[in-house]
Amino acid sequence: MMTRPQTDFTAAEAAMTEPAEPILDLRNLSKTFGEVQAIKGVDLKVQPGEFVTVVGPSGCGKSTLFNIVSGLEEPDSGSVLRFEGRSVMARDLLGNVSFMPQRDLLLAWRNVIDNAILPLEIEGANRAEARKEAERMLPEFGLAGFAKQYPHELSGGMRQRVALMRTFMFKRDLMLLDEPFGALDALTRTMMQRWLLDVWQKHRRTVLFITHDVDEAIFLGDRVLVMTARPGAIKLERKVDLPRPRNADLVTSPEFIALKRDLLDAIEEESMKTFGPSSH
Amino acid sequence: MTHDPMTPSRHALARGLLGGGALFLIWEIAARGFDLPAYILPAVSEILLRFWTARDVLGGAAVYTLGEAFGGYLLGGAVGVALALCVTLVPVLRRVIVPAATAVNSVPIVAFSPLILLWFGMGAGSKVVMVAVAVSFTMFVSALAGFDRVDERSVNLMRSFGASRAAILWKLRLPTALPLILSGMRLSTVRSLIVAIVTEMLGAYGGLGWVIYQAVIVIDFVQVWAAIFVASAASLAFFGFVSFLERRLVFWR
Repeated sequence: MMTRPQTDFTAAEAAMTEPAEPILDLRNLSKTFGEVQAIKGVDLKVQPGEFVTVVGPSGCGKSTLFNIVSGLEEPDSGSVLRFEGRSVMARDLLGNVSFMPQRDLLLAWRNVIDNAILPLEIEGANRAEARKEAERMLPEFGLAGFAKQYPHELSGGMRQRVALMRTFMFKRDLMLLDEPFGALDALTRTMMQRWLLDVWQKHRRTVLFITHDVDEAIFLGDRVLVMTARPGAIKLERKVDLPRPRNADLVTSPEFIALKRDLLDAIEEESMKTFGPSSH
Repeated sequence: MTHDPMTPSRHALARGLLGGGALFLIWEIAARGFDLPAYILPAVSEILLRFWTARDVLGGAAVYTLGEAFGGYLLGGAVGVALALCVTLVPVLRRVIVPAATAVNSVPIVAFSPLILLWFGMGAGSKVVMVAVAVSFTMFVSALAGFDRVDERSVNLMRSFGASRAAILWKLRLPTALPLILSGMRLSTVRSLIVAIVTEMLGAYGGLGWVIYQAVIVIDFVQVWAAIFVASAASLAFFGFVSFLERRLVFWR
């Protein structure tokens, strides 16, 4: 129900021919704002169903990368942007990628259900049916009984879950999550991470997830990418060969810690370029 | 829920009634005790009695004035919000429209009244136009502040869902601006009645301002006070009605 026929085709094709057709394929992606080069030569392939996390020092152009992939900004000329096997303009992705920004951005005058169905309403779906579907999804998002509450009546964690539910209701094969748990306290954040993995395992969408938290990146991802300081590019790419479903005690396992050390070293090196005394 | 100082609580209402009653009592005693002539200060009881004896004149005048004020209020509100919308959707216009509107507003609105009376005649039309001019600026400023509160990140989120400009306007910009639009509407109620009454005093065929003007000519100061009381009550009722609507529509604050 959640996957569109196109993905089934891609998956079937993937079974026969290796390597699979990536759902998202970025080559030499660059973006310059006036004098400032935000990202430079990003190469990235994301396979269908994959959970890819991106970490990097602050101001490394992570958000610029997301704005391009969600269709809000066009990359510089010379960049190649391929989606579901076709070369596209960034604006072609508007309405085709499910994007969740850092802030929940819930609409104060809409209750939980009506916030969640906003993307369906924009698509022109039948409002009553969309509401019914949202009602069914509430328990899975820990929102059972909160259908008629307004955002100002909810805690930060719940608001974030409503925003995630809104993102999931916009059924697109590729989901972009931009630090969705960045504003939450550590405990809530851990709970949300585990819960997100549960939901993801059920729905099997492709996820590209930005975070500045290395633990989060390893815990969630099939693959972790480290970005360089500005201009942002992919510095390091690590596969996370940890079994799923993942439990909380995973973060103390030797494999986890070894991986974390590598990633932290790479991030540290990049942060030093921005803040360190050795930079000229 | 934070309490808006402009929306009366039950206690405030009781205190207001008590204060008004005390004022009337002192007024009555002063007017009777010092035997003040009516052109200085008539007794409250006489004014209240006049409500009854002149009920047809006062009631008719109140309806007439409220009609003018309400018509101009709606017209001015629509013009102000529409202008703010234009400025929001076509940012280049901001540099033209905002200074022009400020220039018009920097002159007391009554200064325009001889021209407006000349153009639109002595009837209700000129009052509607005067009120509309006065209200539209307040509404323009309020609505513009409201539209400016729209979060660009929310606009981007809607765009990422594939929303058209019209959908973004209808589902995001207007509701975001609604609280400030409505508080502008609330503040404009009193202004619209003041402008309607003042313009009537400068030339009209009816209305509370006209009643006041006529009463001054025949030195009937009880009538003047009665009309002032009616105007005050009408203004309060109008304000209360819009405040009520505001609380209903902007429930999420």
